[in-house]
Amino acid sequence: MTDTGLTTGQRADASSDGTATSAVTLQGVTKRFPGAKGADPVVAVDGVDLEIRDGEFFSLLGPSGCGKTTTLRMIAGFEYPTAGSVQIFGEEVGLEPPNRRPVNTVFQSYALFPHMTVEENVGFGLQMKKVDRDEAARRVADVIDLVQLQGRESRKPKQLSGGQQQRVALARALVNHPKVLLLDEPLGALDLKLRQAMQVELKQLQERVGITFVYVTHDQEEALTMSDRIAVMDGGKLLQVGGPGAIYDRPRTRFVADFIGDTNLLRATAEDPGSARLPDGTAIRLEHHAAPGSDLMVAIRPEHVGLRATDADRDLTLDAIDGEVALVTFLGNATLYEVVGDRGDPPTRVRIRQGNAPGVQHFGVGDRVRVRWAPSSATVLED
Amino acid sequence: MSTTVPPPEVDPDLADPAPPPGPGLERAAEKAESRRGFLVGLPSYAYLILFFALPLLIVVIYSFATRSIRGRTVLGGWNLDSYGRLLDDLVLDIAWRSLWIAVLTTVVCLVVSYPFAYYLATRPARIRGVLLVLVMIPFWSNLLVRTYAWRFLLSSDGPFTSFLVAIGFEDAQLLFTPTAVMIGLVYGYLPFMILPLYATIERLDHSLVEAARDLYATGWQAFWKVTWPLTRPGVIAGSILVFIPSFGAYVTPEILGGRGSTMLGSYIARQFIGTASDWPFGSALSVTILLVMMVAATAYFRSGGKNL
Repeated sequence: MTDTGLTTGQRADASSDGTATSAVTLQGVTKRFPGAKGADPVVAVDGVDLEIRDGEFFSLLGPSGCGKTTTLRMIAGFEYPTAGSVQIFGEEVGLEPPNRRPVNTVFQSYALFPHMTVEENVGFGLQMKKVDRDEAARRVADVIDLVQLQGRESRKPKQLSGGQQQRVALARALVNHPKVLLLDEPLGALDLKLRQAMQVELKQLQERVGITFVYVTHDQEEALTMSDRIAVMDGGKLLQVGGPGAIYDRPRTRFVADFIGDTNLLRATAEDPGSARLPDGTAIRLEHHAAPGSDLMVAIRPEHVGLRATDADRDLTLDAIDGEVALVTFLGNATLYEVVGDRGDPPTRVRIRQGNAPGVQHFGVGDRVRVRWAPSSATVLED
Repeated sequence: MSTTVPPPEVDPDLADPAPPPGPGLERAAEKAESRRGFLVGLPSYAYLILFFALPLLIVVIYSFATRSIRGRTVLGGWNLDSYGRLLDDLVLDIAWRSLWIAVLTTVVCLVVSYPFAYYLATRPARIRGVLLVLVMIPFWSNLLVRTYAWRFLLSSDGPFTSFLVAIGFEDAQLLFTPTAVMIGLVYGYLPFMILPLYATIERLDHSLVEAARDLYATGWQAFWKVTWPLTRPGVIAGSILVFIPSFGAYVTPEILGGRGSTMLGSYIARQFIGTASDWPFGSALSVTILLVMMVAATAYFRSGGKNL
C-alpha cells in the first residue's frame, strides 16, 4: 500500500489502537434551505447519524433529491449544516471552509479548470498548499502515471475525452493525499461500457491507495458493485446502512426493497410466531415479531422464487402458490414471469426471474404453474 | 462453379454513365443557400453602405482636401497637410487628456461594476430580473437630460461640492473640471460594463470555484486563479464598450467640462460646427482616431482570446 506514496499518515497512527477508526462521523446532521418566498424551508438532510470507517468504500445511495449530495457537500464544506456535527478523523469541521478540510472532491461535471493544462489542473492543490516545487512536480507525475494519462500533461481539458477528463479529476484530488475522497456521481456522464470499466478501475484504485472513498450515486447497481457499505437515503433521511449483501437480501423498509433491485411486495397477516397468511388464504412460514392479526408487508426477490409445473412433486420445505402464467418477458440472460394465483380476490401476483441456463424448463402464457420459495427468502418490512 | 467467374458483360452504352448528380446538385444548393443568405442580409447591407461606408468614405476624402482662407473646403489640390497638423502640441495635449480620462473612466467602471455584476449573477432569478431592469432604466431617458442633471449636482452649491467644502476642502470645485467629465462618463457608461460582465459571470460554472476552494484555495485565491481569468472576456468586452465612447465623448465633456477639459470629440466637433471650421483637419483627426482604435481593439481582443 505504501509503495504508491498515497497512504495518509493519520491512517497508520489510527489503526495502531486496534479499533476501526471512524473517517467521517455525522451526528444529527440537518440541512435546511430557505424556501421560496413565503414557503417553508426545505429540509434537504434530516438528522443524519452516520459513521464511515477508515479505508472503506462507502456509498450514499438514493433517488435525486434524497439529500445524498447535500450530505456529501457538508462533508466537503460547500454547505454548512443547520444543526449537528461533522467530524473527520475525530476533528470537528462542520463550520470550517473547504480549503481547511483534509478531504478532496471529484465533481459530477469534473469541474476541471478549462484555462489550465492537465498538469496545472492536477498541481493546483499542491500549489495552493505551497508544496515544494520539485516535490509537487514529482507527485503530479506519479499520479498522472497512476491514472494513465502520461503524454497528455500539456493538453487542455477540452482536448480530452470524457473518460480522460474523469481521470484528471480523480488525479487532481488524489495528488493531495486526502484523508477522505468525496465522489459526487463521478461516472454519471460516461456511457454504459466506459462506466462499467471505470467502476472496476475505481474500486481497484481505492484498494490500492487505501483512502476512504465516499461515493454518491443514484445507481443501485453501481453502489452494489463497488461499495463495502451502502447508506440508502430518501427524503433527507438515512433509511438503512449495511453491506451490499445485507441491503439487498434484508431490506428493512419498503422503500429500500423497492429502490434496490426488483422485488415482490406481498401483504400478509401475522399469525402465530413463524407463520402468516396471504390475503388469498395461503399459509406461509415467516419470521416476524408482530402480534397475531397485525398487517405485514413481505418482500421476496423475483430470483428467489422458483417455477415448476403443477404436477411436480411437492417440496414441503418450500412455501407455494399455484396459478397461471400471465406474462413472459425475455431478458436475454434470464426470463421474467408474472404468475397470477388461482385463489383470492384480488389474487396474489408474483414475479419470478429465472436464469436462462441450459436445461431450465420454460413456460408460456396460460401455462399452469407452481410458484415456490424458501421461507428464509421472505423478509418482513418495517413499513 | 466455384472457379473464376468471368467479368460481367458490359453494355457499351451503359459503360460510361452520366456523371453522378451529386457534386453539381450540391453546388447548386450551396448557391441557392448563399443567395438566400444575401437576400436576408440585403437591408442591413444597404443601410450600412448608404449610412456608414459612404459617409466614412466622404470623411476620408475630405481629410485630404484643402481649407480655403474663408473656411470653405476645397475639393482639389489633395494633400497631407491636415495629417501633418496632428502632431501639434495642442492636438497632442487634447489626445493625451482624452486618453487618460477614458482609461480612468474604464478602470473606475470596471472596479465598480465587477462586484455588482458578481452580486447580480448570483442572485435568484426573480431578484436578478428586477436588478437588471434597474440597471437599464437610465437608458429610457435621454443622456443629454441626465447629463444636465449632473450639472446641477456638481455645481458649486450642489450636494457634492457642499460636502467637500464641509469636510474641509474650502475651494473645492467639481463642475467644469476633468473630474466632473469623468464622473459623467462613468455614470453614462456604467451599464455597458455591467451587462457584459454579468453575462460572463452568470455563465461561469460555479463548481469551478468550489473545486478551487476544495483544492485549498482561499476565497481570494479562487477568485484570482479561476473566476477572474475565466471572466476576462466580459472584462475585455465591457472595457472596449466603455473606453471607445469615452475616448471620443462629446456630450459629457461639452456639458460638464470646462476650458481645461476639452476632449477629442469636442475638438473635432469644433472643426465642423464651431469657429475653427476646418473640415479637412476634422476629417483627418476622425480617420486617425478610427485607425488607432481599430488597431488597439484588435490587439486587445487577441491578447484576451489567447488564453481561452
